[in-house]
Amino acid sequence: MDLVELAKQLGIILLIAVAVLGFMMVAVLYIILKLRWVIARIQSRLGPNRTGPWGVAQTVADALKLFQKEDIIPCGADKWLFTIAPVIVFVPAYLVYVVIPFGEGLTAHSLNIGAIYISAISSIGVIGIVVAGWASNNKWSLLGAFRGASQLIAYEVPIILALSIPILITGTLDLDKIVQAQAGNFWNWNLFHAFPMLPLAFLMMLIAGLAEINVTPFDIMEAESELVAGFNTEYSGMKFALFFLAEFAASFTLAAIIVTLFLGGYQPPLHILGAQVTAKLFGVIPLFSLISLGWFIFKCWVVVLGIMWIRSTLPRVRMDQLMNLSWKALIPVGLVNLLLTGAYVVFWMK
Amino acid sequence: MKSTLCKDIVNSFVSVAKGLWVTVTHWSPARPSVTELYPDVMPELPENFRGMPTLPVNPKTGRSGCIACGACMRMCPEQIIKVVADKGDPKERKPAEFTIDISRCMWCGLCMEVCPTNCLKPARTFEHACYTRECMVYTLEDLMKLGGTLPEEPESVESEESS
Repeated sequence: MDLVELAKQLGIILLIAVAVLGFMMVAVLYIILKLRWVIARIQSRLGPNRTGPWGVAQTVADALKLFQKEDIIPCGADKWLFTIAPVIVFVPAYLVYVVIPFGEGLTAHSLNIGAIYISAISSIGVIGIVVAGWASNNKWSLLGAFRGASQLIAYEVPIILALSIPILITGTLDLDKIVQAQAGNFWNWNLFHAFPMLPLAFLMMLIAGLAEINVTPFDIMEAESELVAGFNTEYSGMKFALFFLAEFAASFTLAAIIVTLFLGGYQPPLHILGAQVTAKLFGVIPLFSLISLGWFIFKCWVVVLGIMWIRSTLPRVRMDQLMNLSWKALIPVGLVNLLLTGAYVVFWMK
Repeated sequence: MKSTLCKDIVNSFVSVAKGLWVTVTHWSPARPSVTELYPDVMPELPENFRGMPTLPVNPKTGRSGCIACGACMRMCPEQIIKVVADKGDPKERKPAEFTIDISRCMWCGLCMEVCPTNCLKPARTFEHACYTRECMVYTLEDLMKLGGTLPEEPESVESEESS
């Protein structure tokens, strides 16, 4: 009896894990394709349009190609660390998805410390990057890894400072509850509240998040023109694919966190478009969470497009500029912002 | 000191916004892509496109205006043009054989420049790839076929012949 219960529980956990993994895979496949289209259009090109109708099968074809590639481990590399590094990078990118509220009641596991969990887990990935750089026995990889480490240390602080503003104002670390606190019309979203503090936190989150996921204005650790490809220079085949997957999964995660904390999560922009009202209108209750899932995905899509827009516009910053931006600009501003928010919570919000 | 800091901050935001505006105008559907889908859609050749030399047919006489003078043969830096005059009719000079080995042609256009009757004209095609060296050698018939028929303007050819 006990064993049956246990098996049931394990089965449910496995099912959820597979569902989340599937969602992540589909999201990453789409994001890679969309990124190539968007960058192509911005550069007045067409982008992938040969594989399947409008090139929709391009990423699948690329993944199949990567499967067939020879898996090279350079001589002199630390074989075990070299093999395990992509996994260390990939697993945290996957684990973050556990607490993200995809829709009403569609959280894989709602933690009451969700926000801390996210910032803690997502910074494990940098260990994998350092391991990859070290194990490759290649100077470019090592330089890229060092840059990655210093960058992620520098940008972890502003991210947490920015995270703490909506947490202070909503008074909870649970992402589900943060989303519920933003219910109603769009002016209830965190972005449009507490004027100088939350919009500033949103901006900081966006800038520091871009640095955290290493996209172009801040992709100093894989800067193609300086370091061949940074920490993944020596990687090929499926290991490279895992790095790639983790990178794009992280860009979706950033969008999801921004949407959850600032843009109302799965709440519709107008109350009338919400799940409760639509369900009442059409009398279909199971659609409940699917509608909110749709809103969540739509908002994430918009944020991801914004990230792609920024990444195809801005040139790469220098290493010292990158460090200056974090330590001299974002962190002081974030600290002042935190102070202001604290005062706001204590004196106005009682 | 403080004023430059404020200016720098404002400037950086403004310049980022400017860059984002430039890219979004390129992103918009009003700005079509410059990519040509060549094998599916043939590119539009410019008016003065200069392809390989060909011998267009004069619609009045039914053959090209070549008088087999051999000027192009002598001029060709690669020596790939071969002209043999037809000695059959002493009143009328015409080529019995006219071959161009296009595989070695460098598209200098000297043959067309030197031609006294202006009968060597650039083709408006560029798809000359094939699998053997032999098929790159264009004979008189090939050149006439590639050149097509001249438009109704035979006076220029005749006037030059008479002068």
